[in-house]
Amino acid sequence: MNASPHNTVSPRTIEQVYRPLTRRTFLKGSAAAMVGVAGLMGALRPLLELEHGTVTLDELLQRHYRELKPADLRRIMDQLAAKCETEYGVHPHLRDIRPLANVEFGYALNLTRCIGCRKCAHACLQENNQSRADATDLEMSYIRVLELNKGSINLETSRTDYDHATVPAKDKFYMPVQCHQCRESPCTKVCPVQATWREPDGIVAVDYNWCIGCRYCMAACPYDARRFNYQKPTIAPAEINPNQSYLSNRIRPKGVVEKCTFCLHRTREGKYPACLEVCPTGARVFGNLRDSNSEISYILANKRVYILKEDVGTLPRFYYFFDK
Amino acid sequence: MDRPPVIFQKRLWGVALALGAGLAAMPNLPATPESTPSAPVNLPVVARPPAEQPAPGLPADAHLNKTPPRKTIGLDLVKNGWTYNCMECHKLFVAKWHYDRPMAEHRDVTLAHGNNRFCLNCHHATNRNAFVDYDGGEIAQADVVTLCAKCHGTIYRDWQAGVHGRSNGYWNAVLGPKTKLRCIQCHDPHNPKFQPMPPLAPLRYPVRAAHPPTESAAAAAPSH
Repeated sequence: MNASPHNTVSPRTIEQVYRPLTRRTFLKGSAAAMVGVAGLMGALRPLLELEHGTVTLDELLQRHYRELKPADLRRIMDQLAAKCETEYGVHPHLRDIRPLANVEFGYALNLTRCIGCRKCAHACLQENNQSRADATDLEMSYIRVLELNKGSINLETSRTDYDHATVPAKDKFYMPVQCHQCRESPCTKVCPVQATWREPDGIVAVDYNWCIGCRYCMAACPYDARRFNYQKPTIAPAEINPNQSYLSNRIRPKGVVEKCTFCLHRTREGKYPACLEVCPTGARVFGNLRDSNSEISYILANKRVYILKEDVGTLPRFYYFFDK
Repeated sequence: MDRPPVIFQKRLWGVALALGAGLAAMPNLPATPESTPSAPVNLPVVARPPAEQPAPGLPADAHLNKTPPRKTIGLDLVKNGWTYNCMECHKLFVAKWHYDRPMAEHRDVTLAHGNNRFCLNCHHATNRNAFVDYDGGEIAQADVVTLCAKCHGTIYRDWQAGVHGRSNGYWNAVLGPKTKLRCIQCHDPHNPKFQPMPPLAPLRYPVRAAHPPTESAAAAAPSH
């Protein structure tokens, strides 16, 4: 019986099928196994931190903020406050302040009045517990004061590092830029873990314990309003603002994104934001957009209002206006 | 007597002293108890001096510097501790519209307020503790906003709406009070143009501002 061509088996095929253990395949396999073990160890590393006590179990499991029961929330607040006391030496008055009913915050800035003194940007550092004790720290104020040439609003020729003896400088005007709390916020759309969202009063908030630090939101923001904690913040105990809120100015951990919240720990209790409180020219106006008698409603009804990058369609709640 | 006697009043002691000719003013004379106010009875009442306005903002915000732009308010006499009762001197120095010699007093006043060339454009002719209204009536010192509103109506409208000038405290009237800075807490009424001020230091942000590249690194980097 002639062998069928289908049954002929070439020696080469047998070698392929049985794959004898050669030096090459052994090295390939062991290298792959080592990579696998290293990856597993990396994935389990938080467990090691849990054992050392640098991370609590709740931080590790990352239960979602909105799903918490009130008792759980209180426990987590206590833990975060205790952690702040351990690491920074100050026991904060840490709360979870909820939005006020029938309130939508709006902010307006008078470009005619602003003189670029940077008092708002520095007050932001003090109010929001930004890292600044170390001389090499980034001072991640949520406000960047741009110096622009008079005649047009050309951001490309603007600069933030001006250092004149006195301001305003000749033929310059100044435009502080911070989070615009957009109604169509690109940053919340791109977040892969929903760690950032729009609150009912319009504030775009970040859950620092839920953020994974991918920085997609920073890339999406057209106003460069978000900041990333490249390192653990350093603050002297005397400079820590103890009036803290979970979603705003509690001291952030390393590796998360933060942003301006219109000082929601102040504004949700009826106070003005810190940047407005210190403005020497009164260029900043803050209020409730849903109150037709508020200051911000007066601006929108009576002044010439400019919206930064209106063409990108983000519908900000931050307005610039001009005066005579 | 080649000069008429001048009556001064020290704020802390409440002492009124009549000084004869040739005697210098001596504010550090022995104090009398405050229970014996000896102010002349026929002087006009002084409204609350602008320099003693309440501090803006909330006490809990001590970490924020809310000092109004115009820190020292008042004439040089006031800064030295004298009261703001202008009539102590001016009941003797009669007001004139025009002076044919430089002023000996009020040297710290630089009048650069538009068309207002005369003191009596704003100050009342017979009561220097007050300002002058449209009809020649008096506007109390504490109501200085009303005086400014005589000319700056649109600014006054914006100020009333809370849009001109700074507000401190609570945006929500239900939850707390709000303080509004008044005209002369930011503007010098004699020279109202807003004065330039030194800016605070640039922030160390972004990274290239906090850690600028060294010269060697910049030289090594490829240039385009």
